[in-house]
Amino acid sequence: MSDATNLRAFRAPTDEAPLARWLLIGFAALALAILVFAPLIVIFAEALSKGWSAALSSLNNRDALAAIRLTLLVAAIAVPVNVVFGIAAAWFITRFDFRGKAFLITLIDLPFSVSPVVAGLCIVLLFGANTVIGSWLVAMGFPIVFALPGIVLATIFVTFPFVARELIPVMIEQGRAEEEAALTLGASGWHMFFTVTLPNIRWALLYGVLLCNARAMGEFGAVAVVSGKIRGQTTTMPVMIEMFYNEYLSVAAFSMAALLAFLALVTLLLKTLLEQRHAAGLSASRKSH
Amino acid sequence: MGRPLLYRSPMPGLGLSMGITLTMLSLIVLLPIGALLLQGVSYGAEGIWATVNRERVWQALFLSFRLSLFAAMFNLVLGVILAWVLVRYRFPGRRILDAAVDLPFALPTAVAGIALTALYAPNGAFGALFKDLGWRIAYTQWGILIALIFVGLPFVTRTVQPVIAEIEREVEEASATLGAGRFHTLTRVVWPMLMPAALTGFALSLARAVGEYGSVIFIAGNKPLVTEIAPLLIVIQLEEFSYDGAAAIGIAMLVISFLMLLFINLTQIWSRRRIGYV
Amino acid sequence: MHIQIDEISRDFGATAALTPVSLNIPSGALVALLGPSGSGKTTLLRILGGLEYPSSGRVLFDGQDATGLSVQERRAGFVFQSYALFRHMTVFENIAYGLRARPRAQRPPRPEIARRVTKLLELIQLPGIGDRYPSQLSGGQRQRVALARALAIEPRMLLLDEPFGALDARVRKELRQGLRDIHDETGLTTVFVTHDQEEAMELADLVVVMSMGRIEQIGKPTDIRARPATEFVRGFIGA
Repeated sequence: MSDATNLRAFRAPTDEAPLARWLLIGFAALALAILVFAPLIVIFAEALSKGWSAALSSLNNRDALAAIRLTLLVAAIAVPVNVVFGIAAAWFITRFDFRGKAFLITLIDLPFSVSPVVAGLCIVLLFGANTVIGSWLVAMGFPIVFALPGIVLATIFVTFPFVARELIPVMIEQGRAEEEAALTLGASGWHMFFTVTLPNIRWALLYGVLLCNARAMGEFGAVAVVSGKIRGQTTTMPVMIEMFYNEYLSVAAFSMAALLAFLALVTLLLKTLLEQRHAAGLSASRKSH
Repeated sequence: MGRPLLYRSPMPGLGLSMGITLTMLSLIVLLPIGALLLQGVSYGAEGIWATVNRERVWQALFLSFRLSLFAAMFNLVLGVILAWVLVRYRFPGRRILDAAVDLPFALPTAVAGIALTALYAPNGAFGALFKDLGWRIAYTQWGILIALIFVGLPFVTRTVQPVIAEIEREVEEASATLGAGRFHTLTRVVWPMLMPAALTGFALSLARAVGEYGSVIFIAGNKPLVTEIAPLLIVIQLEEFSYDGAAAIGIAMLVISFLMLLFINLTQIWSRRRIGYV
Repeated sequence: MHIQIDEISRDFGATAALTPVSLNIPSGALVALLGPSGSGKTTLLRILGGLEYPSSGRVLFDGQDATGLSVQERRAGFVFQSYALFRHMTVFENIAYGLRARPRAQRPPRPEIARRVTKLLELIQLPGIGDRYPSQLSGGQRQRVALARALAIEPRMLLLDEPFGALDARVRKELRQGLRDIHDETGLTTVFVTHDQEEAMELADLVVVMSMGRIEQIGKPTDIRARPATEFVRGFIGA
């Protein structure tokens, strides 16, 4: 009896007092409720404020559908481009020794520290109709700014580091020995890549693709600058949300937003699953705690 | 004979991977940024200064930087507490809270923008509460601050979490055996270990907030001199086809970004020297 | 196969990992490259396997210049220090890897691959573990699987980097004999790297003592023990 009481009274020296602990947990939960959960709930509440049918019909028009199609198309181009770049960059950086590696990594990370609006501006200044390259391309019938290629370029710019950033730490952790083993066993470069490298990085690659895709579909600032906002032609879903919102079409704006919020929730769910089930295949900072 | 530029290696794919990496980096990132700088050069230092040195631009840059700093400071405190709670405590709903921290990364900024506006507008759920207290949030600097807190929320938590997970309990136990109380251990032993990572997260959060556009413009009200952020000025200049003006403000923002990137790298070097990881 | 190393050097920038070294390895020999870490022994082994390029010098296999041969063309059975087993493949798939990697025309048919893998599993005395994954094996088993995988490609030589380094003392003794048996059975020219002088002396026909990128002495274990050529050798083998 007295043993049990003693045990209950014992508190590990590395624990905080129960009261302090529950206060901290309560504070964390409250902060996330206000900052994160409340906005999330508002999106769905506003979208459904006039009922399901109003929400659905607000999306069932030419402009909204065109925006959804355009967003899917942009992601379908930008994400694979990112995958190719991410794998190439991670391979180059982790499998070869050269000078200026740290500088190269900094350059790859650069788009993270550039404002999306500035990113869009850069593309306008390079390919806009007022520039040499831009006016020539327009004359050739291949405009970039205020057209699909510009939106794709802007999207690739802002998502540029995503895949490479997930792959580089994983490939450093895994080392080169397995690939070297494959080579000594006679495998060609591509055979080695598909049978050894790709299986080893698949979860980290999927993780990077998830994040890249979420950003590609949701990018607003950079795309808004280069899109020209031509209804039904160059309006992606986030740009369409802005237009609906500015036209006081609240249900339409929030229904479109709810679609993207749903995508974000699916992304988070898959990401959490990856962190729990395949932690060994992700970089150390991605493992769940 | 110094280090060679590139060590020869039998690993396959050197040409291909280097080619793809450098080509795409140049075409997609460096060339456009170069175009911005070139526009700046052709506009000239005087022109850039004349554009930036107007009250409206100064106010916007100052507003962006000041509110970003406040938001990052708030996120520093909240982020460290969140990281501690999520790594050290076991309680029902922990996994959901952990996943929720990443929502600002996953949620498109325009979506966050209209959601926060709906929430904090005078007729919104939270806005109505504050209105009774005579306090307006949306369409004031408070609204901008809330949007910037939202987009910067995950950074500190995500940089600090792995560091907390790696702290050896023995260090804390050692502190306890030496007679230190829990609060003393936390402030004198644990916090110094977390600080470098927390500062990195703080800087990342700050950098993100300074350039943020989508989540802010809906809730800001965009009144010149009062609630107009720097990225919006670029958009306005572009809508007026003033490419020089847009480039000038863009370069000013780029300079701020570079200074912050430098700061991040310096804190990382400094912390790596001190504690060996981050 | 007879291996000649002719004035091979390797430098990493300003630091030399190998000053020009020359070495003659007779066909069928079991050779130990012995030295402390940083002596260049692993670099030399990796150059033999084609995993690294020499800064200067030549490698000859059976009198033919092999310096320019790619890793794949060398057909060296290489056993890595931490084995580098493919963790997402079963033991069977690991051992079959080299055979399946061959171009279609030279690839043995499926049943033939299965037959050879089974035979190799018997050779390493681990029949019936083909379906397991590397993570389910003990350290000693992993080492033997790595050896079987290297043997599966019918290598022209066997190169082993600290093959017993990660094992405890009892398993180490057992596997030492295993390597000796496999060497005697296959007759392959075998080179292994070790920092353990007892291991080198007990197992090898010929010991090459290395230090600071140079070869200090080449000789039979008994000769080296009886007549250490330099102060370094005397100190290192504790004679």
